[in-house]
Amino acid sequence: MFFKPLLRFSIMALLCGAVWQSCKKSEFEKVELGEHTAEFAFPLFSTNLQLKDLLFNILNDTLSGDTIFINPDNTMTLFYTGDVAQKPATDIFKFLGSGGIIPLFSDTVVNPIDAPSGITITKAILKDGIITFSFSNPLNEPITGFLGIGQMTKNGAPFEYPFSLLPNETDKAYGPYELDGYELNSTSNELTFQYAAYLPDGTKIIIPNSATGFPSVFVGFDSLEFSYVQGYWGYQLYSLTRDVIEIDINQTELRGDIKIVNPKVTMRVRNSWGFPTRGIIKYLSFIGQNGEELQLESTAFQNDGTNDYVDFDYPSYADGEVGQEKITDITLDDSNSNIADIFNLQPTRLIYELDGVSNAQLDPNLIGFMTDESILALQMRIEMVLEGSAKNFGAEQTIDLNFGEFGSLDSANIESVEFKLVSENGAPVDLNAQIYFRDEVGNNVDSLFDVGARNILNAAPVNAQGVATGATRTETFIPMTAARFDRIRTTKTAYLKAYFTTAQGGTVPVKLLADNSSTVKLGIKVKKRMNGE
Amino acid sequence: MHFSSRHITSKRIQEISFVLAVLLAAGRLSGQEALMLHAMPEIWHSNTTNPAFFPGNKKIIIGLPGYALDGAHSGDITYRDLFVKTGDRTVIDFGNVIDRLDVTNEAYFDQRYDILSIGLRLPGKILLQAGYANGLSGTITYPKSLPELLWNGNGPYVGQTLDIAFNADVYDWNEWSIGLAKKFGDLSIGVRGKLLTGVSSFLTDPTHTSASIYTSPDIYQLSLNTDYGFYSTNIISAIDTADLGFDFKQGDLKRYAFSKNTGAAFDLGLQYQINDKLSVDVSLLDIGGSIRWKSKANRFLSQGNYNYEGQTFPGTDFINGSDSLDFDAKLDTLNDIFNFVKTAAEYKTTLPLRGYFGASYMLNKRWTVGLSGYFTHREDANNTFSIGGLARWKPLGWLSLGAMYSINRRSAGNLGFQLVLKPGPVQVYFASDNLLNAFSVKNSSAVNLRAGVALVL
Repeated sequence: MFFKPLLRFSIMALLCGAVWQSCKKSEFEKVELGEHTAEFAFPLFSTNLQLKDLLFNILNDTLSGDTIFINPDNTMTLFYTGDVAQKPATDIFKFLGSGGIIPLFSDTVVNPIDAPSGITITKAILKDGIITFSFSNPLNEPITGFLGIGQMTKNGAPFEYPFSLLPNETDKAYGPYELDGYELNSTSNELTFQYAAYLPDGTKIIIPNSATGFPSVFVGFDSLEFSYVQGYWGYQLYSLTRDVIEIDINQTELRGDIKIVNPKVTMRVRNSWGFPTRGIIKYLSFIGQNGEELQLESTAFQNDGTNDYVDFDYPSYADGEVGQEKITDITLDDSNSNIADIFNLQPTRLIYELDGVSNAQLDPNLIGFMTDESILALQMRIEMVLEGSAKNFGAEQTIDLNFGEFGSLDSANIESVEFKLVSENGAPVDLNAQIYFRDEVGNNVDSLFDVGARNILNAAPVNAQGVATGATRTETFIPMTAARFDRIRTTKTAYLKAYFTTAQGGTVPVKLLADNSSTVKLGIKVKKRMNGE
Repeated sequence: MHFSSRHITSKRIQEISFVLAVLLAAGRLSGQEALMLHAMPEIWHSNTTNPAFFPGNKKIIIGLPGYALDGAHSGDITYRDLFVKTGDRTVIDFGNVIDRLDVTNEAYFDQRYDILSIGLRLPGKILLQAGYANGLSGTITYPKSLPELLWNGNGPYVGQTLDIAFNADVYDWNEWSIGLAKKFGDLSIGVRGKLLTGVSSFLTDPTHTSASIYTSPDIYQLSLNTDYGFYSTNIISAIDTADLGFDFKQGDLKRYAFSKNTGAAFDLGLQYQINDKLSVDVSLLDIGGSIRWKSKANRFLSQGNYNYEGQTFPGTDFINGSDSLDFDAKLDTLNDIFNFVKTAAEYKTTLPLRGYFGASYMLNKRWTVGLSGYFTHREDANNTFSIGGLARWKPLGWLSLGAMYSINRRSAGNLGFQLVLKPGPVQVYFASDNLLNAFSVKNSSAVNLRAGVALVL
């Protein structure tokens, strides 16, 4: 009889227990995902670059004189330009000096005009300067008179000033008188100073020298400046310029074979000197990758037996071209020089030096002129239409990196990652690249590709003219172990070492157009062990 | 949604998984199917299936806790498939189930605790009844691609559009009831009124039910299109998309007996004793039943097309080194991809109308046979029906056993079981509409069981 209640209770307890075990809520209260591996894919970045932007940026990094010009057909011309060597005529040809004191031992004194050797002034117009006179009267009676320079006129009136001296008066000064606007005319490169002195009875006299023998009359000039000089210009040699043009696209440590279609060097001379000037080419050479001299030889120059030279065009006095500027352009290209051969060697700089010679032909009848604004400006320019072919032409770039969240990520559970690099290249150029990831001090920590550089951009197809006709998509998968990813994501910079090869393996010339563009995109897949999260 | 390797490991997935896990154990709100319990009218708790039921010749009845569980998942997904014990933790293992999921999956869950109930037989053949119970009901339909994404990540699905929107209707409520039944000769009529106080709720906005993610095969650019909204009371109080996260802020799930989220429902039942051996009954439950959620009720809505293409560097910056490849800044922009906008909003959840009908024929003192049927109806879903035939054996005065063969929408071959013990004034019962899963709840794709205790005097 005892077991009956016990059985009944046991059944009850069993039922209640079963129900409780089946349905207790606590199991739902801390729900977590079990351990497993999941893979997540997401984009990292994309970038698009037009060739013109690429080149503009390259140029911004380098010489200020560099520029790129987009031609009407969208081709681009790259110019490397040297400094403008600008020579004012006044720097070379100095007339009249800045002034001086001329003693007049007599009432007529002829004084030579201060002018460079070989030049005879026939006319000069002053734009500034002063003249003063000093008189002493050693006599016991007063003297009156006037002093003039007959070759110096203003508005047709000769320069002439009166003076008046008391008996025994000394060092009486007249002036200063402004000379602005006076014109000097001479046929002999001389100025004649004259005075006329009279005693009270009208007797014309020459003022005697002082007891110590010094003249009693002095004429002083100061701060003389001319605005125009005209005369005979004889032969004179002078230095014009020496300069260096850096060709920075060839100045990486990387090498490659590149052929530029029809490179040019142009020399432009702007000349407002009013007499013939010859440019003597003392030095004109490129410097090669290894520092070797590559002399630029051209039939565009004349040769005097010793040097190449070029006669610059000039404004002619005889033709009434005073104030004009004449331009002389000399172009050296593959039709008249060895420049194409030199460019195939990827020269790194151009060095040039020129002297100038006036009236090199020694024309005895040459009348020339110069003004205070006459300049001779010479500029050399390297001109490259970006058309050609290249094989493994190198470039390099360092890029700052910030992996942000990825940098401090707890990667203990990352099993692997795989980058996907996609390029859509509208330029007719292959890009073979490797990226080296570097730490804070620039040491290489790892590289993007573990088996060397890879083609990450393939050239766009080109037509017979070498123009890209579409875009080529290239997908590059870069698997990476967690350990490598760990190393890379803590790096600070990426050093890009790139080699460009034009379409079809660099065997045909292509045109790089301004609107050729390339898009580069990067995505990532991360495979991660999920531990109850 | 972030797919940085940090975010994919964050609480976000945990929280999403939590919601999903809860809802996986829920299902279309068909109402609790209790054919077996209904077929035991002498058991006090069967009163929940027909307010006209009242154990014969008993004057006072105290219903002690009763528990009922009814749930199922489409296909053959079981609890043990999804929830795996690892050490002292139970974790979700989608890996076991993903391959067996359908393109669209459905699950439901109904749980009821009858905490306390009282029945009094009053003079005039009037039966007074009152009770307090807790209920939890849920339904979810979800695409296979949602657990695929949560479990496998988006990596394996590059080039595919994954539908990640699930529809759910889950709520948890208290039920305060009072009812009367009266016998008119052989006819008993019962009516019961129920005050419903809502505890928590999650209801997908039926007008905003789409969300998808597409991972481009190009460089895995992500496109998310959302027109997805839901109402929530207490389950989710906020969605924090700040600080690279996507965290659900869980509301206060503490159960209060009363709340401002109230509703009402009515039950009506009839039982007619045709003769000494044959009786029939019919009931309608939760007539007009609904809960209006007003307190702490919010609507969350995400609408928009979001494309994440990674950081875009000007090409010039890239080549001249004037800018760095800064991956950090752009990850932040994913913060607000979903950008759920939260607004306070009242809403209503409707209890399905349920009904039972049955017939019982006593063959002899020990054997009874019967028929039991059940239906549900709700406005936004198909009606469901089930029906079963029952045989009960009462070998002893305090012991009876029963078996039922039933057909429902999940299966045409359910074998039910019931056990009733009546040691003295105590009623103890255990019943299931499907015997095979009643004792292996965690290894079955469907479960139906109930048990309870009552004192009858």
